[in-house]
Amino acid sequence: MSGLKLRGVRKSFGSVEVIRGIDLDIEPNEFVVFVGPSGCGKSTLLRMIAGLEGITEGELDIGGTRMNDVDPSKRGIAMVFQTYALYPHMSVRQNMGFALKFAGVAKDEIDRQVDEAARILELAPLMHRRPGELSGGQRQRVAIGRAIVRHPEVFLFDEPLSNLDAELRVHMRIEIARLHKELATTIIYVTHDQVEAMTLADKIVVMRDGSVAQVGSPLTLYDDPDNLFVAGFIGSPKMNFLKGVVAESGADVRLPEYGDQIIPLHDSVARPAAGTDVTVGIRPEQFEPDGRTKLDLKIEMIEHLGGETYVYASHNDGEVITVAARDARAVKPGQNFVARFNPTSVLLFGTDGNRIR
Amino acid sequence: MNFMIVRRAAVYLSLSIATFISIFPFYWMVVGATNESRDIVTGKSTIGTNLVANFQNLLAQVDLAQVFWNSAVVAIAATVLTLAVSSLAGYGFEIFRSRVRERIFQILLLLLSIPFAALMVPLFVMISRAHLSNTFTAVILPTVASIFIIFYFRQATKAFPGELRDAARVDGLKEWQIFLYVYLPSMRSTYAAATIIVFMTSWNNYLWPLIVLQTEDKKTITLVISSLTSAYTPDFGVILLSTVLATLPTLIIFFVLQRQFVQGMLGSVK
Ligand SMILES: Nc1ncnc2c1ncn2[C@@H]1O[C@H](COP(=O)(O)OP(=O)(O)OP(=O)(O)O)[C@@H](O)[C@H]1O
Ligand SMILES: [Mg+2]
Repeated sequence: MSGLKLRGVRKSFGSVEVIRGIDLDIEPNEFVVFVGPSGCGKSTLLRMIAGLEGITEGELDIGGTRMNDVDPSKRGIAMVFQTYALYPHMSVRQNMGFALKFAGVAKDEIDRQVDEAARILELAPLMHRRPGELSGGQRQRVAIGRAIVRHPEVFLFDEPLSNLDAELRVHMRIEIARLHKELATTIIYVTHDQVEAMTLADKIVVMRDGSVAQVGSPLTLYDDPDNLFVAGFIGSPKMNFLKGVVAESGADVRLPEYGDQIIPLHDSVARPAAGTDVTVGIRPEQFEPDGRTKLDLKIEMIEHLGGETYVYASHNDGEVITVAARDARAVKPGQNFVARFNPTSVLLFGTDGNRIR
Repeated sequence: MNFMIVRRAAVYLSLSIATFISIFPFYWMVVGATNESRDIVTGKSTIGTNLVANFQNLLAQVDLAQVFWNSAVVAIAATVLTLAVSSLAGYGFEIFRSRVRERIFQILLLLLSIPFAALMVPLFVMISRAHLSNTFTAVILPTVASIFIIFYFRQATKAFPGELRDAARVDGLKEWQIFLYVYLPSMRSTYAAATIIVFMTSWNNYLWPLIVLQTEDKKTITLVISSLTSAYTPDFGVILLSTVLATLPTLIIFFVLQRQFVQGMLGSVK
């Protein structure tokens, strides 16, 4: 298990810069998840770490060695691909042993390693099959097995579960978490899926347009986002963003689009000048029946999930706010709805999108 | 309802005609091989009793073993070399990026439109200057870099997943090893289809061997059949028998590789 250090890492394809200077430290044995919208450069960054894409500028250090120009097979990494990328003409056993065979490992030793990986992943009954004869979940396990056999210092996963159905995805997610414990290696994992990111990660790296928007533990990103982008990206349903203005007193935020409702500013928050435009962020699940501040809304749509109910409501046909409500089975679209929350739970963002703390 | 029946009938009728048109010459050839020349000329189209006699006549006129050997050497060598060179080129064109690759490829496709008749003479001059005339090398060499096969492999390579190459690179394979140990075996049906095409083309090639092969001991089966037809009194029984024999190898190859051939033409990577 090696740690990684990225310093000012950049990548351009022709004149287009897709990775724009990334600094990142990954501790040994850490489970790091890259998330971000499509096209933000997650795969590219992962492939640069793997050595499948060149690094235009900056330094990549794995386990204390500069790896910028080292061959992929010599970086101590193994990669699991989104499409599994199993060799179609080889059996499961041959697929898993292929890298070792090329590294000149003796046949008995290859067999031992492959059997060990097969045991961990419960692949023993499938060893003679071809990839074409396996289900999606089984192929995924073989792909992971092929990675394990190489005993990498760092595992790289690029959206490994995105081709599986929902149930299998949950199952494999738990499997991967278990593997991380059992193998005790560093894992870098790319995903679109919030739940995967929140449940698997020790540390989440939120990326945006080729840069890092924020790095932190899942709960840090959820509770204490640095900017609007991260606040909006982490959490489902999304955080509500309300337009606000700092009131004359400087101690309150006024919500002009919600009947000039006043939210008193928390003492620990820096006080922007009166009249400053701000964005007030409040998560759907932070509304509570006995909150001190209220918004008068009219219900537009309701989603009953059984345990929870999501109420989509607006004030004077303005922007729709999502409220997660318990005990709201009886409410109907068109009704008036009072959403209450505590002013201490809101987050404030400046016009530049950064948190006002 | 009536319309449906008429439509069906029309489909079946046209399919029957097409089948007849494609099968009849074949049938005629096989039947003719068993008949006397006289009967063939008068249009007899039932199995005859002259097969053995035709065979003896054929053996009396040509060294059949030598001729088959010549054709086989040429066709097999041409197939192996063409597949090796042209598949590598097609793979390279698709996999490796370069600013000029599309330009070069377009030029290649343009060259495809130059008729062989226009290339024949300069090609022959080149071959003679290289002192290769009347050798198998001379027959094979000009066909090895086949633009059509390069094009075919480039198209097929589009279906070869990039992540498979990446996986192989992470597993420690060099570029040539990826080609040899990952690409080649996983594109088996493409190779099978190309094998049939190249082998048939080479086996049936007539004009170019006619130009570069001069001595009897080098002649291939197509040249021999042609010389049989130009005899003063052509024996059609012998000619058709030799044609049947000449068809057999391609037929065998086709049936052996048939399944892969169809898959390869449909362009599937398993
Ligand atoms: N080989 C390439 N040549 C040119 N541009 C590329 C290449 N590979 C990726 N890009 C561009 O780089 C950007 C980042 O791509 P990347 O695949 O890393 O995104 P991603 O975050 O993994 O997206 P997704 O979540 O959809 O997988 C995209 O705008 C993409 O178009
Ligand atoms: Mg991606």
